[in-house]
Amino acid sequence: MEEPSADFRRLHPLTFVHFVFLAIVGFIFAGIWSPDVGNVQRNSLIFAIIYATITGPYAIAKYIRFRYHVTSEEIIIYYGVFKRVRRNIPSDRIHTVSIERNMLARVLGTAAVRIETAGTGGAEGDLSHVGVREAERIRNLLKTPQTGEISEAPASPSFSMPLNRVLLSGVYQFSLGLSALLIGVLFQLESFGIISIDAVIVWLIEQKQFFGGTAESSVSVTLTVILLLLVTLVLGWVSGFIQNLVRFYNFRIELGETKIRRRFGLATLREGTIPYKRVQSFLIRSNPLMRLHGWHRLEMQTLGLQSGERGFQSGMPFAKWPEITRLAPLIRPFTIPETFFRVSPLTIQRHAVRYTLLIIIPSIFVSLFWWTHAVWGLCLLPAGWGLARLQYMCHRWAYHDGNLLIRRRVLSQQFWVIPAERFQSFEITATFFQRRLGLCTLIVDTAGAGSLRYPRIIDMNRNNANQLLAKLYEAFQSDATW
Amino acid sequence: METLDPAVKTVWTIKGVLGWGILLPVSATVDVVHFFSNNGTFLPGFWTCILVLVCLLWVLIVPKLRYRYWCYELREEDLYAIRGIWNRIQTIVPIRRIQHLDVAQDLIEGNYNIARLIVHTAGTRSTDVVVPGLPYEKAVHLRDTVRESIAKYID
Repeated sequence: MEEPSADFRRLHPLTFVHFVFLAIVGFIFAGIWSPDVGNVQRNSLIFAIIYATITGPYAIAKYIRFRYHVTSEEIIIYYGVFKRVRRNIPSDRIHTVSIERNMLARVLGTAAVRIETAGTGGAEGDLSHVGVREAERIRNLLKTPQTGEISEAPASPSFSMPLNRVLLSGVYQFSLGLSALLIGVLFQLESFGIISIDAVIVWLIEQKQFFGGTAESSVSVTLTVILLLLVTLVLGWVSGFIQNLVRFYNFRIELGETKIRRRFGLATLREGTIPYKRVQSFLIRSNPLMRLHGWHRLEMQTLGLQSGERGFQSGMPFAKWPEITRLAPLIRPFTIPETFFRVSPLTIQRHAVRYTLLIIIPSIFVSLFWWTHAVWGLCLLPAGWGLARLQYMCHRWAYHDGNLLIRRRVLSQQFWVIPAERFQSFEITATFFQRRLGLCTLIVDTAGAGSLRYPRIIDMNRNNANQLLAKLYEAFQSDATW
Repeated sequence: METLDPAVKTVWTIKGVLGWGILLPVSATVDVVHFFSNNGTFLPGFWTCILVLVCLLWVLIVPKLRYRYWCYELREEDLYAIRGIWNRIQTIVPIRRIQHLDVAQDLIEGNYNIARLIVHTAGTRSTDVVVPGLPYEKAVHLRDTVRESIAKYID
């Protein structure tokens, strides 16, 4: 393979500091979770020596082998220790050049440059790490031929979130995943003898006055469960708040002529652009509490998805409905129609039967052992029927001005806006029960949608679905470009 | 609408037997353990008999029904396919949205000279639309026809 010439540059030498930092974090985790047998200190030291002996030379070789050269036409990257690769990425194929700076990178004055093209699951070019000025130079060189992006960005952001709004948005967030991590850390601290969760629980249960002056074991167990649930909820809320603050701190979005520029993040500062043509659809989400106070979240479904964001990029993490309907149509024109169509009312019947079976079948199994408890399960039946009714009430659709608009789900409500020219394929599915009721589900596939979150109209009348499909297909044929 | 090559029923039957056959060592082990543990709950070989029965029912019914409900049509602007026994799916893939095409054939299919046409789009849910059970020559012909249609759009 042709060797890189003298024009080729290396990564920033402080890249090694990142490597050492990651290695230290790895040691700490390995130390915490290593089996508590024998001499722990000696085992950790042996592990550290083996790790450093193997990965240290590899990291040096990787650094030496990695070279890149950027021109306005392309970026060429040489890399690989065992398998040597030369990668050319032409500028006109590049969709996004993003600069990321985590806490350590900001201290060291370095940045990671990620280059994405269409149709890749992640970054096709990853320069971790280069100097900040070098990162800017790379971005400017790669953007100039297409758009002249830098000069087109407006001076003031089209939408920004001041600190008070970021903090307020955190109040509406809940993260069970992070709370599970916090609980894991608590248990880890207990294993080191720093805290004692058992002692705290026992102490709380013994506070007879606090729990109404009874110490019967059955009551204590119930109260302990309630207490644990409350602790989980509080931890979930706190972790959701922190996660939201770290992610969307100082969020700003600027609309240029051809690209959207975003900048946000506390621990890791993310800065990148998304071309308008890469936006496939809009998803406006809200939970019941957010809806009560008129808040929503705008996400843009894009191509060349970053694995962390699963194809949905935040457009406006916390905004009022008028703010969204003012900004989003500037990215991709749409208007909200006055009337929406409902799906078939037979959907209530179908979902009610489904929920009834979901409640009755486990109840029958439970009744074989504890029939009194099974009766409580039957009390959920009205809730299931109510949910079926609510799902019908919340599910609506409209085709307006070349966009398909779908509203669905009860709690975590979704509102989709999908331009006809962005459709990739069309699908009508009908299960056995749907066919008996003359119903079907209409699905339009778009590039970059998640495997679980995708636009669909559930339980449409079959004739209505066929008519809508014909209309959508006709609009697609007249609007879609290659 | 065109139907698939009838040989696909045999291919699906063989694949069904192989698929269910994976469970055979498990059921046989359970039966042997039961036999030697003096547990008289079930007859000897009960679970293996159940597995063989389910497998038989599956391979006798499912391939025929799948074949019966599978049909496709390559139209001027799109590929149209209908399939599914329990969940009936009707898919339209516009030709202008096709990214690339594959003709695939495994050992069993090769033995019966049939192949699959795999249509890739940039979509997420229906990224790959697979038309199975095509005579190999027809699959290649379909692929070339679609490729020419794509070229027409690019021009």
